Amino acid sequence: MKKVNMKALLIVAVMALGFGASAWAQTKTIAYVGHATSNTFWNRLGAMAKAEAGAQGVKFLDLTPPEPNPDEQKKAVENAILQKVSGIIIGATDNRAFGETLKKAKAAKIPVVAVDTGIDDPIVQSLVQTDNLKSARIAGKYIVERMTKPGKILILGGTLGHQTGDARRDGVAQMAMDAGITVIYRACDWDETKAYETCQNELAANPDITAIFGAWDPAAMAARAVVKEKGLMGKIVICGFDGNPANLKAIKAGEINATVKQDNDRMGKQAVDLIIKINKGEAVDKFYPIDGFIIDKTNVDKYM
Amino acid sequence: MGGFVTSSAFKRTQRALQALVGLVVINVVFLVLAPSYRQVANFTTILSNATVLGCLAAGSTIVIISGGLDLSIGSIIALVSVVVGYMLMLEVPVYLAILAGLGTGALCGLISGFIIVSTGIPSFIGTLGMMMAVRGAAEIIGAGKDMSAFPGSFSMLGSGYVIPVAIMAVAFILVAIFLSQTRLGFNAFAIGGNAEVARLSGISVKKNQVLYYLLGGLFAGLAAVIETSRLDFAQSSRGSGQELNSIAAVIIGGTTMAGGMGGVGRTVIGVLIMTSLSAGLSHLGVGSSWQRIAIGIVIILAVWIDTFQRHRASKA
Repeated sequence: MKKVNMKALLIVAVMALGFGASAWAQTKTIAYVGHATSNTFWNRLGAMAKAEAGAQGVKFLDLTPPEPNPDEQKKAVENAILQKVSGIIIGATDNRAFGETLKKAKAAKIPVVAVDTGIDDPIVQSLVQTDNLKSARIAGKYIVERMTKPGKILILGGTLGHQTGDARRDGVAQMAMDAGITVIYRACDWDETKAYETCQNELAANPDITAIFGAWDPAAMAARAVVKEKGLMGKIVICGFDGNPANLKAIKAGEINATVKQDNDRMGKQAVDLIIKINKGEAVDKFYPIDGFIIDKTNVDKYM
Repeated sequence: MGGFVTSSAFKRTQRALQALVGLVVINVVFLVLAPSYRQVANFTTILSNATVLGCLAAGSTIVIISGGLDLSIGSIIALVSVVVGYMLMLEVPVYLAILAGLGTGALCGLISGFIIVSTGIPSFIGTLGMMMAVRGAAEIIGAGKDMSAFPGSFSMLGSGYVIPVAIMAVAFILVAIFLSQTRLGFNAFAIGGNAEVARLSGISVKKNQVLYYLLGGLFAGLAAVIETSRLDFAQSSRGSGQELNSIAAVIIGGTTMAGGMGGVGRTVIGVLIMTSLSAGLSHLGVGSSWQRIAIGIVIILAVWIDTFQRHRASKA
């Protein structure tokens, strides 16, 4: 007899929790799945998005995984769909990883907006992105103007085939090749330890490297450590991408030349605004390019 | 009697020599194929790149010889990295930050060991759980913090090749002394060979096993200190996958997964083989994906040769 009562109690409790949870989700909630909570760029984007959501009277659910992992992101999106959110913002680690999950979102009538990395699927209604190619060209021009010539440029890339990583590589590579400079490109899987070792090996194999471009800021930090250790500080131009605090600190100290700051504040805000617009039935553009800009010693103080 | 001892001693030496021959062959191949491999700077780079994996694998050697397996050491690197980084940003004296890091590593190893001996769950599962939990702790401590540009006295540890290699050498020597000259070290071989027989012969197997995991964690902490110093910034994404590299280095060097035999000298060779492969392939312009394939093939070959020979030895 006692056993049956406990079971019934348990079932009622679980149902109550379930109803409670779904009731909560009925008030508008926007889910955000960034790259990783270990990355300051994504944290700030999420924070700005959360602030905008709050200002618009909408709840915000941050499901960003702790490390860049496409599988974890896919699971987070599925989680958001189950929680019946009003919109999902995705900053894809791997733009090809979502497939079926997006169909589920469409079936549940949950709009999906991509931020930073495009997802090649018509279900994603808009992309808010730094024009990575344009911004990388700006970086490429900056690097080419300042590097010692003749010399080679080493590009420490993200994951092979990654849309954002490829765009940043291409922007810099195009400017380099236009100037007749040899480009060495190595994919580093967005892993700074890999970037460090790649830098070590490539500098040993190619002593005529006079510029290093990191497709994301931690790579530039890794390059800084290698260059410093080899006593080549000042002889190799180092440029990153993202505008992370550690890099700004290094730029001020003169150990890194520059970074490209993405306007992640605007990106977060814009993504939330788009979800709200779509929910209201308004039309939105497919693409919202937001310009990045160079931060170097001349203007770093403004951003610290 | 004498003949028996000689032939098994010869077989043991033969296995150790195999890895060494492998290392020499790999280097000769690269020397021939890649002109840029033929410079002193290349070899000092290989040595300095070997230091993090080396310290890590020194600890793994003890654990594997004792028949255990610790998959959490990569995550321990992450946790120690952010603990040390955080303390340095708080301007704690460098030596204290380092001690805290080493202590954190040892503590994680202690917890792993304790979980495994008290619950009896397989080390693979127990340390897999720790791998996730420790990574979580690292992420919480490291979230959103800028931990970079450390004091010079800390950066010294990882810069260049002299100091980090010296640290790695000391680590290997200590482990070698532990395994060959101390009671606890002898016990590791006995326990790895047959834990039940070891227990019956009076060895407190459980206590010893906890110690071995603690040591594994301690050396992971040392690896983390060197790596954080080299990169000059801390992040909770460190060490991802390093546990597998560490185990690979131990196996390639010639210590068997089954436990009961092996040595740290072989691990040195295993570490150098992996680092040489990575460097040589870079000098040949081969990308990171192909490098992964190459290392995977070497691991399979090494384990295959090892299994083949143990088969033959047991038939003899």
